This record gives sequence, structure tokens and C-alpha cells, in this order.
Amino acid sequence: MSEMRSHGPDPVPVVEGSAIGIIPNPMSGRDVRRIISQASVFPNAEKASMVLRILRTVGTLGVERVLLSTDTFGIAAGVQREIKRLSGARSSAHVRWPKVEFLTLERPTGTAADTTAFAETMAGRGSAAVVLLGGDGTMRAAVPGLGDTPMLALSTGTNNAFPVMIEATVAGIALGMIATGAAPEPTTHAKLLHVEVTRANGGVRHEAALVDVCVNTLGVLGSRALWKADSLRESYCTFAEPHSIGLTSIAGRLRPTGRDEPRGVAVRLDDPSVAAHTVLAPLAPGLLEWVGVLGSTELQLNVPHPVELDRGTIALDGEREVEFGPDDAVTVTLAQDGPRVIDVPTVLAASAHAWPTTTCVFA
Amino acid sequence: MTQTLSTLGSDAPDASALSEAQLLDVYRTMRSIRAFEDRVHEEFATGEIPGFVHLYAGEEASATGVCAHLDQDRDTIASTHRGHGHCIAKGVDIKPMMAEIFGKTTGSCRGKGGSMHIADLSKGMLGANGIVGGGPPLICGTALAAKIKGDGGVGVAFFGDGASNQGTTMEALNLASVWDLPAFFVAENNGYGEAAASTWSVSADNIADRAAGFGMPGVIVDGFDFFAVYEAAGEAIRRAREGGGPSLLEVKFTRYYGHFEGDQQTYRGKDEVRNARENLDCIKRFRQGVTESGRLTDAQLDEVDAQVAQLIEEAVTEAKAAPVPGPKDLLTDVYVKY
Amino acid sequence: MATRKISYREAINEALTQEMERDSSVIIMGEDVAGGAGGQGEDDAWGGVLGVTKGLYGKFPGRVLDTPITESGYIGAAVGAATRGLRPVAELMFIDFAGVCLDQIMNQAAKFRYMFGGKAVTPVTIRAMYGGGLRAAAQHSQALYPLFTHLPGLKVVVPSSPYEVKGLLAQSIRDDDPVIFFEHKAMYDVTGEVPQESYTIPFGEANVVREGDDVTVVAIGRMVSVAEEAAKELEGSGISIEIIDPRTLSPLDLDTILESVENTGRLVVVDEASPRCNIATDISAQVVSEAFGDLKAPVKMVSPPHVPVPFAGSLEDLYIPSAQDIVNAVKTVTEWSK
Repeated sequence: MSEMRSHGPDPVPVVEGSAIGIIPNPMSGRDVRRIISQASVFPNAEKASMVLRILRTVGTLGVERVLLSTDTFGIAAGVQREIKRLSGARSSAHVRWPKVEFLTLERPTGTAADTTAFAETMAGRGSAAVVLLGGDGTMRAAVPGLGDTPMLALSTGTNNAFPVMIEATVAGIALGMIATGAAPEPTTHAKLLHVEVTRANGGVRHEAALVDVCVNTLGVLGSRALWKADSLRESYCTFAEPHSIGLTSIAGRLRPTGRDEPRGVAVRLDDPSVAAHTVLAPLAPGLLEWVGVLGSTELQLNVPHPVELDRGTIALDGEREVEFGPDDAVTVTLAQDGPRVIDVPTVLAASAHAWPTTTCVFA
Repeated sequence: MTQTLSTLGSDAPDASALSEAQLLDVYRTMRSIRAFEDRVHEEFATGEIPGFVHLYAGEEASATGVCAHLDQDRDTIASTHRGHGHCIAKGVDIKPMMAEIFGKTTGSCRGKGGSMHIADLSKGMLGANGIVGGGPPLICGTALAAKIKGDGGVGVAFFGDGASNQGTTMEALNLASVWDLPAFFVAENNGYGEAAASTWSVSADNIADRAAGFGMPGVIVDGFDFFAVYEAAGEAIRRAREGGGPSLLEVKFTRYYGHFEGDQQTYRGKDEVRNARENLDCIKRFRQGVTESGRLTDAQLDEVDAQVAQLIEEAVTEAKAAPVPGPKDLLTDVYVKY
Repeated sequence: MATRKISYREAINEALTQEMERDSSVIIMGEDVAGGAGGQGEDDAWGGVLGVTKGLYGKFPGRVLDTPITESGYIGAAVGAATRGLRPVAELMFIDFAGVCLDQIMNQAAKFRYMFGGKAVTPVTIRAMYGGGLRAAAQHSQALYPLFTHLPGLKVVVPSSPYEVKGLLAQSIRDDDPVIFFEHKAMYDVTGEVPQESYTIPFGEANVVREGDDVTVVAIGRMVSVAEEAAKELEGSGISIEIIDPRTLSPLDLDTILESVENTGRLVVVDEASPRCNIATDISAQVVSEAFGDLKAPVKMVSPPHVPVPFAGSLEDLYIPSAQDIVNAVKTVTEWSK
């Protein structure tokens, strides 16, 4: 008869100096596509739960510190409340919580700029990686702040091409392994699409997209989302997968291009009621629309591509961000200078040997 | 001079296809609301206006962006205690509104309602409402009437972050969904229910998150951006009109004045309002957008400003000169027949 | 008019049927007014908790609407629909449930017309059960009509027999003002002569149920039949009472009461509502104020004690005013001397 252990194995030791950052975007997953089709709603309460799952996981794996962005929409407040409750609860007495630092901004704007600022602070304060919870727009906003710090892009909703849907606990495992040195950091950089708008007065606006740039005929930024098939004219993609949702699904059907390939794809589009060739594409969850196609080409790295349309708006990763007119010159350039992105399956496969195990010898 | 602002109605085009005249109409509505509220603020401060007054300045894009899609005859709105903007955007005459606020016989309600009860049922405006959460159940009724009559009408309930916590609002959301009504719920989250921050009082943090619990879509828009509200509201109203059922739109912004006139607002951050006025203001943004893209000129917009200023001036002058209700008015208008 | 004997319940059902046939804008809504919505069994399984609306669901497709248990939601919806040309009849089941929807009645329906300067018409009828006798205890037995009589803008109807209930309900539905219609739950099986064809009984016209010379007895709702019992008993003592049924408490036909008191010089008011600020106190005060000189004795009020309605039959029987209580009161005023 085996002897029962009086207590479990010792906890995984805390690795001094190890840290990660977490940025949940409180505004993602709420745009007008929920009315137009049946795009998923992702409540902030669930984002707070995802953060808590990541915290518990990285804490258990020995991460010392977590930097967490704060917001006025209750995610950080919910996390704080739950940590307080759970820390005192008997049922979670065995959980080792990391030290959580709630970061605040001196001048919050309530816009994407906050995400950029948080990413920059986390990168500057020793985070081995930053995990972002949100959609394509959230990921794009973090890029300028991250520098060389790797990102893990977790999707909060079904409407995204760049971030992945993977259980937060598993994402937390990858983060914890990297932060404690048990798994290697990613070495390659993602592709970016750089948009340059040169105004008549010589002013230049620079924007970048992680997934796609879509030039369309809509005259205003409106509710930002882009789903009207007849308005689409030019689609530039860093990668295009046949199984993706949104604007890149058009290119994904015509010229599939992988995330790791050193090229992108450009598609010229037209109003489906006049175009000779049309393709059915899932422009948003639940919304399959006919799109008029004039042709597609490979997009080479570092070659500026002039935009042909003379007036309209430019959507970056699915959201209208820039209005332009006939006096403005717009170019799109693909480059391999994006962030380093953590691929969870790759990290876990590469670090299988380092996974904590114990062997019990029974008397 | 236009006194009644015409809503574009159910034929309202996509945001990018708004004509020059329609854009001017939109601008006139937003400018009229702002000028009306700024003037009421001044007149209240000098003691000319009796009672309780809650101003809508800063929130113009919401009422304007939503009501632009509504017809006056078949579409209805229910409003809140902060109702002047909704009234103007739904086409209630401005001069009688001002007279009502001054408590005069020439007022929209003959001086018997005041700021919190301005209504014009002939224009589908079911009244500002002194009760937080009073409007949403009523809108279930107007939407039901439209559904039974089959006239394609839509009922729109404007309510605030405070009312989002009221049982009446929750009941209305549920009933609208159960009855599959052509209803549209617009949660105007201006950050404060009276003096309490909505980030404290609204447990779900986003009011739009609650929509899922009632089986309807919930969407958030930037309330400082007319075009964002216009586009999202247009989709929701079209959906309701076509029989697609109710939906909820959360409009996030802030109010420029206090909960009521006289509120010292010590519960607010120091630069909060100044920052919004300088960097986010919906009228500034609209002007900038339409002039930079060449759709309207500053001269056209300045002309509207001048016309609106004159209208408000006349409205105040006439309101002040109008007679107050007398003893015979006290007893009338209680019942149709008694 | 040819009459036949039917129950109070059947009389209500007949009035609803005839009004719905007569006017397509009449709709019915309430919890289980059909019954069985969404279940696997029959439609119209209940016809209301007491079967009052049975059969209407099949006769009037789309016009008999089951609601979730959501009183604020659907009473508000009935009020809203009434402002848009429908004549909703909402069943509140028990008037005690006014506690969860009073705002929609008190602050919305009752006040629209006055607040909006006479421009609103809100022809909604809210039917509800009231009163004791079924051992339904404190939250399902109250006689809350004083609460609504207190509110300007509402009409309050308390029918006392099958004949009365049919004619008064038809009038309530056709009336252009909001009406709160009180049905005594212990009377649904009471039968009486009722004409088959449709008829209305005007509001504000009291019914002299029984003529008499010695004492005026004003009785409300089910108390009318209790007063009739007392009258028979008093005949033996040689006392003749005049029983007046006001039918409607708002408007109240005070003139008929005053005329009767002018003849009898004595007044007893019988009211099933709690004794403070009820209809008995109201009528007594008005009569004393208007006709003090006609009174030969103090006015007597027969009401329950100031306690919640008890559950145990032994207590509830003590609680509800009885024929003996009325006899005692009548004798007190007839035997009174200075």
C-alpha cells in the first residue's frame, strides 16, 4: 500500500528578475460588425478572467513580476478585485501570484496611443515579453512601443487575422517559459506594411499595419470598421490565408501567402456589380459578400507601391484610419521590420525538455 | 430661417454619400444644440430660468447622428432629463422649447412641463423624462405599435449610464428582445450618473457588454465623432426597420456642464472638460473633417453659425417677452374629459 | 335589452371580446393572458391566471400578447403604445404588483397630458385584481384604489357587479385617459343579469343601488353587495338605507352623494381599503366640508383595521368589513344624539 504524501511537490522556484507585461484592450470587440452580422461580443469581464489565468500560470512557473496596464473600463479593477479575493480564499492557497504592478499613464488619451505607451513602458522595464489581448487594431497599436521586445498576440473575438485564439493558460505557459529562460525567444520579425501619405502642403503621415491595408471609396472614417464590398479598391496584405476572416480572405483565396514568407500580396478590387470577375469572401464573421476582383500580384519587400485611387479612406488592419484626397500621394511598402512574435506551439515544442516534472518514490 | 430642423429620415444615405445640403443640415443641428445649451447655461446663471436644467452640450453627435435616420411621423424617441438635444435633433421647434424652459404660455408644453418634460408627440418625441430609466419601457410600446401597425416605424430609447443600471431599462431590453421589437437602445455614457462615475456604478464597465445578456448585439462608438455615431446608428435602425430586431449602441463621451445647472462638479478631474473641449469636441471635429476633405467651406459653416446665433437670440428675446400662464391654465390639460 | 345570467368573469371576457371586435386598435397584454407562450403544450392554456381572458388569443391573432413577468416593462410598453394610436388593455394581475411598475403609471401615463401641455392622449386601461377573501395574504389582497385616486391624470374604476363590470370596462377601453380598473378577485364567480349586446356605463355617475330614507351608505366595489346584505338585516329593525355605488372614484360623483345626504342627514362610507387616507376618509371629508348643515350625526367609516391583510381565514374574516360592521355603523348614526 502506497503512503500518501502529506503535501505536494515543492513549488517551481521564482526566477529573480523575470517579468512579463500584459495589455488587455478594453475597447476591442465592440464595433458595428456586431449589428451587421453576428460578430462575437467579448465582455471585459472575460478579458479580466484571461488576465487572471495568465497571472496564475506565470506565477506558478516562477515569474517574479507582471506589469499590467490599467484602464477606466474595469479590466484592471476586476483583476485587482479578484486577486484580493482569491489570495484570501482557502481554495487557492497553493497558488503563487506574481508581484503585479498596475501601470498608469500620466496622460491617458482613451485611444490607441495608450496601448503604444503601455507597450513602451513594459519594454523599458524589463519585460521578457508582452502579451496583448485584443484584435488586429490592438496589436498594431502596440508595435511602435515594443521595440525589440517579443509580443504574444491573443485574440479576444472572432474577427481577427493577426492574433490567435488560444487558451490564455497555454499562452501563459509559453510566456512563463520564455521569461524564466526555459524556452527560447523568437528570433524572426513579422512583416509590416508601411503607409506614407504625403499631403499637398508637404506634410507626411506615416502609419503601419500588421495584416493589411485596404484602400476604399468611403469618404469618412465613420465607425471605423470596413465591410462594404462595393467600396473596396486595393488590398495589400502581409500574409493571406484561405482560412482567415476579414479583408485578407480575398487575397487568401486568390494568392495564399504565409506569415513567414518573404513577400506579401496586393489585390486590385472593384465594385462587384461592374467587375468581370468576382469572388465570395467572408468580410466579417457571418458576412459572405461578393467582391469584384481586377487582379492580384505579389508584393515584394521594400518596394513602394503607389495607391491608385484618388479619394477615399485607408483602412489599417480592418479599421478606417486615414482620409485622403486627390492632392495627397499615398504609397504602401512591405518590410520585414515588424515585432518579434511569439508562436505558442513553436515555443512549447522547443521547450518540452524543460517542462517541470517530479518523480515520486513510494515506500 | 429654419426653425424646425429636418431630419434626413429613413432615406439617409451612407456617411460618405451625405450631400452638401445634408451635411449642412447635420451641422446646423449640432450647432443649434450647442448654442441652445450654452445660452440656457448663461440665462440660468443670471437667474432668468426657474427649476432644474440639465444640459447636453458636448453630446451633440449622439442625438444628431441617431435622429438623422429617423422619420418624424412613424419613428419615435424617448429621452432623458438631459433632453434638449434629442428634442432639437428630432425636429421639435426651437423657439417654443426656449419659451418652455422660461415657463411661458408659448412654450412647447404651455409652461406646464419645463426643461425636463419637453415633448412633441406629433414629431414622435415622447418627451424628455424626469425619471432615470423612465423612457425605455415606453419605447417598447411605441415599437410594438409600429410592429402591429406594420408601418416600418422604429422606437429609439436614449438613456444614460445611470439609467443603464435601472430595472426598467433591463426589463425593456429583455421585453424588446422577447417581443422582437423594432427598437434601438442608445446608451449615452457621459461618464457620470449625477456625480458618480460610471466606471464605478456600471458593474459590466461597458454598457454594451450587457446587450449579449438580452440576446441582442451591443456596439460601442466614439461619441465625439458624428460620423461614427451616424454610421452605427444607421445600421441598427435599418436592422430594426427591416425586422431584424433590437440592438444596443453605447455612445461614449463626456458632458461639458454639470449634472444640473449649479453643479460645482468637484467630483471631476481638473482638466477633464477642458481636454474634451479642446481635443475631442464633436463640432470642431466635424468642421475639420468636412472642410479638410473639401466637402464644405468655412464660409458655409460660418453662415450656419450666424443663422443659429440669430435664431437663439430671437428665441430668448421672444421667450422673455411671452406671457406667463395664468390661473385658468392651472386646471386645464389634466384629462381629455373628466 | 335582453339579459341573461352570467358571471363577473364572463362579463369581463364579453366586454373585452366586443371591444376588440369593435376597434382593431384594442390589444391585450399581460402575464399569461393567453398562457403557455413558448411551452410544449397548448396555446391559450390559461387565459389569464383566473381564466378571464380565455379564448381571446384564438379570436384575435396577434392582438393578445403574453409578456414575461416584467411589470415595469409591459405596463410601460402599454403606456407607450397608447401614445401611438393603440388602445392597450394591460392586465397587471394583482394590483399589489403596482409596487414594481408604479413609475410607469404614476410618473408617465398619469402626467403626460398635463406635462406636455394637453398634447398627449394616452388611452391605456390597466386591469388588476384587488381585495381580500381568498386567503391570498398581504401581498395579493390589497385594495389599493386610494393610491391611484390620489394621482391627477388617472381615472379609477371599481365595478360592483357583473352588469357594472361589463359596461364600465367597455367605457374604460373607449376612454381617452389612462384608467386603472379594479376587479374584485372574490367576485369572478358572482353571477348577475347582463345584456348580451355591448353597452357602456359613463364615468362620474354614481349608481343608487337601493333607495332609502334614514342613512346614506356609500359602498365601493364588493362592499356594495355587503351593504345590500346589511340593508336586508336593517329592514327588520325598521331602518331604511340608501346605498350608493360611486362606480368610479376618479372622477367621483359627489353630487349624488350630497343629494342623498341632504335627504337622509346621515352618512356611512364602506371601504375595503386600509383606513388611513382611503376613499372613506376622502368622501367623509368632502361631505362634511360641503354639507355640514345637512348632517344629523357624525359620519361613520367602515374600513379594515390599519394592518396588512392577514393570511389565516380566522383573521382575514375579521379584517374584511362585514354586513354586521355596516349594521353597527348604521345603528350608531341613527341612534346618535348630542
